[in-house]
Amino acid sequence: MSDLDRQIEQLKKCEPLKESEVKALCLKAMEILVEESNVQRVDAPVTICGDIHGQFYDMKELFKVGGDCPKTNYLFLGDFVDRGFYSVETFLLLLALKVRYPDRITLIRGNHESRQITQVYGFYDECLRKYGSVNVWRYCTDIFDYLSLSALIENKIFSVHGGLSPAISTLDQIRTIDRKQEVPHDGAMCDLLWSDPEDIVDGWGLSPRGAGFLFGGSVVSSFNHANNIDYICRAHQLVMEGYKWMFNNQIVTVWSAPNYCYRCGNVAAILELDENLNKQFRVFDAAPQESRGTPAKKPAPDYFL
Amino acid sequence: MEVEVDEKELKAAGAELLTDGRHGLRIHGWEIESRKRSILKSSTLELWEKKLETYHMPEMVFGDSCLALKHVKSGFTIHFNAFDALVGWKKEALPPVEVPAAAQWKFRSKPSQQIILDYDYTFTTPYCGSKTVKFDADKLDGGEISKDTCNLHWEDCNEKIDVVALASKEPILFYDEVVLYEDELADSGVSLLTVKVRVMPSCWFLLLRFWLRVDGALMRLRDTRMHCAFNDNANPTILREICWREATFQALSAKGYPSEDAAYNDPSIISQRLPVIMHKTQKLKVPDNV
Repeated sequence: MSDLDRQIEQLKKCEPLKESEVKALCLKAMEILVEESNVQRVDAPVTICGDIHGQFYDMKELFKVGGDCPKTNYLFLGDFVDRGFYSVETFLLLLALKVRYPDRITLIRGNHESRQITQVYGFYDECLRKYGSVNVWRYCTDIFDYLSLSALIENKIFSVHGGLSPAISTLDQIRTIDRKQEVPHDGAMCDLLWSDPEDIVDGWGLSPRGAGFLFGGSVVSSFNHANNIDYICRAHQLVMEGYKWMFNNQIVTVWSAPNYCYRCGNVAAILELDENLNKQFRVFDAAPQESRGTPAKKPAPDYFL
Repeated sequence: MEVEVDEKELKAAGAELLTDGRHGLRIHGWEIESRKRSILKSSTLELWEKKLETYHMPEMVFGDSCLALKHVKSGFTIHFNAFDALVGWKKEALPPVEVPAAAQWKFRSKPSQQIILDYDYTFTTPYCGSKTVKFDADKLDGGEISKDTCNLHWEDCNEKIDVVALASKEPILFYDEVVLYEDELADSGVSLLTVKVRVMPSCWFLLLRFWLRVDGALMRLRDTRMHCAFNDNANPTILREICWREATFQALSAKGYPSEDAAYNDPSIISQRLPVIMHKTQKLKVPDNV
């Protein structure tokens, strides 16, 4: 058994790698990812997965439902880390699979694959807690900069973490972005990872936060038409039912973190496309408590004031 | 969040746990019950949007979760639920808070070509508990909140909740924390409305907390504490203390406090750093003949 195969087996048991192993793995991954396009081509059949957010045991449920990699070809739409308890193990397992089977798994970047966001929402603290230093966080966030920004399945389905950008009308414009950087606060790259479809606007809308675009049905129609694609598949927003179509089936949100944050009680979904691009959503629940390795969290009564 | 309760302690306090899968207890004429359910399904969420006349809802609405404290003899119930809290949000309708990146975005956005949404995306609410008298468990299903016309009447008072007594480590017979709604502000912070309760042999105490952090911009804490010392003979005395705190990151940093968002994950640790902007104590005027 090669070192890599052994590491994959170890990660599948939710046991993190040594710091030196993470460093070596990230170097190998970098060599593969640097060659990928900003609009990475993906062949069908493929199974598309949305946000995971460090919910390692729920991702194992996902693989139970969708089949193991490399037998199943996977596309993950980002947000591997933050919020859940096992961001380290989750991201490293996906990365190890990428290095082992580069043509059978595609990982694109979510807005949480960022230095700034991971310092606030959990991944940074988790690395510090599990390794006693932030080196592993550095290796991983350096790799985040190499992740592709989108994928195109059989030239027909455009996949991205967040959504569209007013600065982008063609796929070629995405191809020209210099992506090897921290996610910027504005511009096309930021929008692809952050924007959301919104029912109540038809064209473009600006979020009440003063930053962040919302896009309506006509924006999606023109984009799909201009680029000759059937629909857009994206993640980024929690959907109680696991997936949600909008704008006459021109865009679908796929959410793959069941019982999000261990308390929402939502189901998750993955989208299976066969070689003819026929769709099947597979809906699944969170891993049962007893398979999680750790006992149920029962916080002691708190003498709050 | 279920807690193993010592049977002997319950018995000694004259309390009994609720049965039939209900989560809570009966003690000194009170029936205290918490319900924790999943977030609302998309179809129910749409129904709520219609009722609230809004297009926007927190992404996690625990619409079937609640905390209810029923005074059995007089029949009134103090209860906490997401729907009434969102009614409060809709009514207060604060202007939106801009995130730090907004300054940069002003150069980018072209208002003539874009719709600028201006609802209060922070879901800030003045909610401090529901003002209805009767609690009908059946009607709570499916997001239908029963409304009774007879409101609970709170009067301003000078008494204060006895914090010293609450600090004593009496056994906790019942404890729970119920999330009513939560929103991640599209990864720009947190908006969270929760209610925690603890019941001891001598009293019950609860904290309803609205906690908002808009990363790099603002923090807002709106706490409602309620306390009731058990007294079997007379009408119960229920005190409620409302305390609102608020500060911008800029103001905190000017005072020498850290300005990283990550330093402000736990409101109970940093609440003292946020200046009080409103504070009042009220007493419940218990209806004699309900």
